Amino acid sequence: MKKFNPFTKKLALTAACGLALQVYAAEPIKIGVAVGLSGANSTVAPAVVQSSQLAVDEINAAGGILGRKVQLDIVDDASGAVGAQKAFDTLVFQKKVDAVISMETSAARNAALPIISRGKVPYIYTSFYEGRSCNQYMYVNAWVPEQQVAPVVDYFSKAKNAKNFFLVGNDYAFGRGMLDFTKKYIESKGGKVVGEEYLPIDGSDWTSIVSKIRSVKPDALISATAGGAPNVSLAKQLKGSGLGIPYGNLAIDEGTAKTMGDVATGMYLSASYLGNIDTVENNKFKAAMAAKFGGELKTPNELSVPQYEAVYLYKAAVEKAGTTDSAKVIPALGVVSFNGPRGVVQMNKSRHTPLSMRLGEVQADGTIKILETFTKVDPGNQCPNLK
Amino acid sequence: MILFLDIFTTVATLFVVTAGLMMIFGVMKIVNFAHGALLTIGGYTSYVVTQLKLDPWVSWPLALLSGAAIGMLVELSIVRPLYKRPLDAILATWGLSIVIGQLIVMTFGREVQFVDAPFSGTWPIFGVEYSAYRLMLLPAALAICLALTGLLNGTRFGVKTRAVIMNEDLARGIGINSGRIRFITFSLGTGLGSMAGALITPLSSVDPNMGLNWLVSAFMLVMVSGHSMASLLLTCLVFGTVQVLISTFLSPVLGGLAIAVLAALTLRIRPKGFGNG
Amino acid sequence: MDNTSNTTPVEQVIQMSNAISHKSGLRYLAAIGVALLVVGPWIFDTYLLNILVKAFFMAMVAVTVDVLWGYAGYLTFGQSAFFGIGAYAAGLIFTHSGFSASNAIIAIGAAVVVSMIVAFVVGWLSFYRGASPFFATVISLVLPIVLVQLTLSGGSWTGSSSGLTGYETFDLTVEAWYRIAGAALGLVAIAAWFIVRSDGGRILSAIRDNESRCAYLGINTLTVKTILLVVTAGIASFAGFGYGAFSGVVAPELGGFVLGTELIIWVALGGRGTLWGPLIGAILINVVTAYLGSSMPFAWQLILGASFVLVIVLLPQGLVPVLLKPFGLGQYVHRIPHLAVRETAPVSDLEKTTPAILMEGVAKHYGYLKVLEGIDLKANRGELVGLIGPNGAGKTTLMRCMSDGLDRSAGNVSICGNDIQLLPPDRCVKFGLGRKFQNANIFESLTVAECLRIAGTTRVTPSLLKQDKHLTLPQYALDVVNTTGLSQKLGAVARDLSHGEQQALELAMVLAQEPRLVLLDEPTAGLTKTERTQIGNILSSLAHKYQLCCLLVEHDLDFVEEIATRIVVLHQGRIVMEGSFREVVNSELVKTIYSGASHAPMETV
Repeated sequence: MKKFNPFTKKLALTAACGLALQVYAAEPIKIGVAVGLSGANSTVAPAVVQSSQLAVDEINAAGGILGRKVQLDIVDDASGAVGAQKAFDTLVFQKKVDAVISMETSAARNAALPIISRGKVPYIYTSFYEGRSCNQYMYVNAWVPEQQVAPVVDYFSKAKNAKNFFLVGNDYAFGRGMLDFTKKYIESKGGKVVGEEYLPIDGSDWTSIVSKIRSVKPDALISATAGGAPNVSLAKQLKGSGLGIPYGNLAIDEGTAKTMGDVATGMYLSASYLGNIDTVENNKFKAAMAAKFGGELKTPNELSVPQYEAVYLYKAAVEKAGTTDSAKVIPALGVVSFNGPRGVVQMNKSRHTPLSMRLGEVQADGTIKILETFTKVDPGNQCPNLK
Repeated sequence: MILFLDIFTTVATLFVVTAGLMMIFGVMKIVNFAHGALLTIGGYTSYVVTQLKLDPWVSWPLALLSGAAIGMLVELSIVRPLYKRPLDAILATWGLSIVIGQLIVMTFGREVQFVDAPFSGTWPIFGVEYSAYRLMLLPAALAICLALTGLLNGTRFGVKTRAVIMNEDLARGIGINSGRIRFITFSLGTGLGSMAGALITPLSSVDPNMGLNWLVSAFMLVMVSGHSMASLLLTCLVFGTVQVLISTFLSPVLGGLAIAVLAALTLRIRPKGFGNG
Repeated sequence: MDNTSNTTPVEQVIQMSNAISHKSGLRYLAAIGVALLVVGPWIFDTYLLNILVKAFFMAMVAVTVDVLWGYAGYLTFGQSAFFGIGAYAAGLIFTHSGFSASNAIIAIGAAVVVSMIVAFVVGWLSFYRGASPFFATVISLVLPIVLVQLTLSGGSWTGSSSGLTGYETFDLTVEAWYRIAGAALGLVAIAAWFIVRSDGGRILSAIRDNESRCAYLGINTLTVKTILLVVTAGIASFAGFGYGAFSGVVAPELGGFVLGTELIIWVALGGRGTLWGPLIGAILINVVTAYLGSSMPFAWQLILGASFVLVIVLLPQGLVPVLLKPFGLGQYVHRIPHLAVRETAPVSDLEKTTPAILMEGVAKHYGYLKVLEGIDLKANRGELVGLIGPNGAGKTTLMRCMSDGLDRSAGNVSICGNDIQLLPPDRCVKFGLGRKFQNANIFESLTVAECLRIAGTTRVTPSLLKQDKHLTLPQYALDVVNTTGLSQKLGAVARDLSHGEQQALELAMVLAQEPRLVLLDEPTAGLTKTERTQIGNILSSLAHKYQLCCLLVEHDLDFVEEIATRIVVLHQGRIVMEGSFREVVNSELVKTIYSGASHAPMETV
């Protein structure tokens, strides 16, 4: 570079510094979101994407994180192990994101963890799941069975006098894990499990299982299926067979319940988020979502709202740590808290968070009536070997 | 008793789903691998009917028409050039189903959609309450079987179609426009496939992949069944019964495999399957 | 590849320049491949290397699919099942038994052995007498579905739908994996290349073109296909093991139906039957999907699906060959060998006295319909027997009963003293039978030279690696080739020949087997006068000079009169008369059989 005189030299230097500062300031913080745009989770993925986008937009409008803009990188994990591997490779090694915040199936999560460890990237898992998944880079802000199962079983036992339970699910980590826990909980409370049936993860022909339930005549039915098609087909086939027993669905979210119309009426569910939670934060959240997405809005639900809160939790952690460096952000994530649509969320119990759980019953018009609210339900000691 | 009802309604469902595929395979010796996509189209037709707030019963004829319309396009552009290459026709129709699937996703989104059913509830039959809609499939399947058999055996179109099935060159030689027969048959087959999708919607969910689960079973049933509607009904009866029995008494996983595996073994032992050739 | 006597100079020049551009195009490609393999780790980033390693393993399977489908004509959706078996072998053994060198060897062994056993069963199910290609495809469809369901029901042992993750595996860098996977792919591709281009490898294409003709040339096609399936299953499984060991994640998707169809799509788009097309296509599509899949997942799938349909309907040769045509690739060059005489095996004294064909009490019925009844027929070496009779008399059925042990309903048939019992055609043929069909039954996409070479398989085993510069034929076959001008067209593709040339080719192919007995079904059908005279002379010399036994079904009585030593008359399934041509033609019985118009009197000279 030729310089002609000292003035030009200074100008050039200043310009270069300015440019460098600009570049530095413009360097966005990248949050990777791996979600099932195809496959079993594809029915709920759009809602997850929307709540992530709202969180990022709000944060950017307020000045970003540490003055830097936040950028969202959304990748399809095909709701499975192989797809998750590809998605996480892309996020961690190609796009080199600063953090991954995602709602995924257990299959996807298990395949993603080795990549997270290799890439040393903070990972907030925002989907409810069967519990006991631990990794030094991962935090979870959704519920585990210890939080979700008790309200349903207790309600059936007390209010419906149920002693015999029938359990139905899809045969995979979540289905098995949830129902194993449920069975133990029922038996610990003096109840009995009179039947336990599973279909493969993509199965949706419940005919023989429904007939089996009819012949066994349990007092109550509890299911833990994969989201989307299996959930809907089971509900339709149960309704179609005329079974009138109380039915608790451990894997239903509000959005799916709405699409089931009158098939879902009478279903019981236990959730940390329901649309008609009447708090300032939830009402503000709902208004912001409606304003941003208008007619395209996908009902915020149990699987999408934790995503919104997780982005804010990450913001809080980075601001507390003063940097996006994993080594500093990871411990910060276990300390910061956020008051969101679900209430106060703080991932300080063994990488998981105490949550307020609501027992709800689906009404004929698709809304969910909250029967009872349990505050600050403890997730238990999910990761005893991690600090 | 419930077991019997399960069996018969399953058989009826299988027949309804495979009738369209059978029409096409019987006449054209081509397996329409886009059949799963057609089932999905039928399901989404029901969804559109719900969105437009029309009477749910409208979805059946509407699905029939939309399936037939698509069939006409497909026959002209894809199937016709591949008459002499049946294996390639399988591939091309499979590719078509991918395209249709993606188009459905881009139009309607990936979510499971809510659809009004024509009716719901249970009916008392033989002393038990059973899903009314499932029961209704029995007369529906019989009606389709009778209608198609009547079409093939009692009309001039039917006679010409049977001539083409038996010996196409000879049929052309005596003046039958086999190209037109194939065109009409294919469209009828795709229309039936789509209508079947609308028919099964109340039993499953409406999402972009709903047809895929049925495709392989339908394919295997058609291969085993020979060339008449009656033999298809018989095939569905035998294999449907086995599937339900295995699902109920052994495991649903094996039940899901039952049709595919048994059909393969049947064909190996008796290449003509259930037909008379 | 040069042959100075069989082609014109102009043709030679064109061939050579085609060969050079094709060969150099291929060499250019191969050179790029090797260069990328060596230099890759320095120019590609870790993410891309990661993708390429997986793509290489996938491409290995794509190559096997091309060999099975593009070359042997077996449309299979099932190669993914073997890939999955290999991947799960790695996952299962490393998860439940830990990682060690010995475990790795056990895993590879298990992967390959299990796949081969499964492939053998699949082969047994799919390839049997009378099986339709449809059925084989159906079985290949059912295989991955069954395997995936079994995997899904394996509970926590197989990881069910989550699969197995996080197991310890080889401690190698991505760069090392890149080189290993790339080298493995290269080896597989090169080995496949040599085999499909070799003389023996052309048999695959022959089977694809015309399986029954192969059977009648003595090739046990069922065994060949099963062996091919077993070998490709082992390779696919090995690739699966590599994938599982590298990626550290195995899930049911790796062995499923969807991957099976994706393989077909890559091969179709890459160009089936070219080997390098699917290889490049598989790698490219995998890489592009990885990059585009995140930004436009739906549109990309739509593009792939639509391209696939377009290619199947309009461009069966695939996209990659079209794109690389400017480099001179895509013109397959046919090697033209030198013709030479093959010494035929000497005839023993026993053979001289045993009848070439002996039929006793042979009958054939379809239910109540009796097509043949009470057939006693004997013919010796050096005889030329004409089999005549009105249509529907059962002549072709008689030929079938002679050549296929399963065909007849009753009676015994011996060829050169060997009872054919219930043996299939490829075994009957080995007793010394050659059968020429009514329609020119040849290998449409192979050259004349290749057809002839394959025809001699039972006598001169073709190499599985090399292309022989010489093509040997017994003298009488050579006579046919020279007389009919086929010697000038050794490089021509069989479907481009005229009808008469195709008939001559088939005759030469039948003769290349060195048969003792030749069955000919209407050899003059559709021939011109000149061609008929040629064939007549050839057949006469076969019988009189070379002492073969010829049995021909004919309607052209002039032709039969000229050359036959004996006539056999068939009517309504029975032999009604035997004798010299004169006796037969003048008999009242024969005249009435031919219903009405008595045959015009023959010239007496």
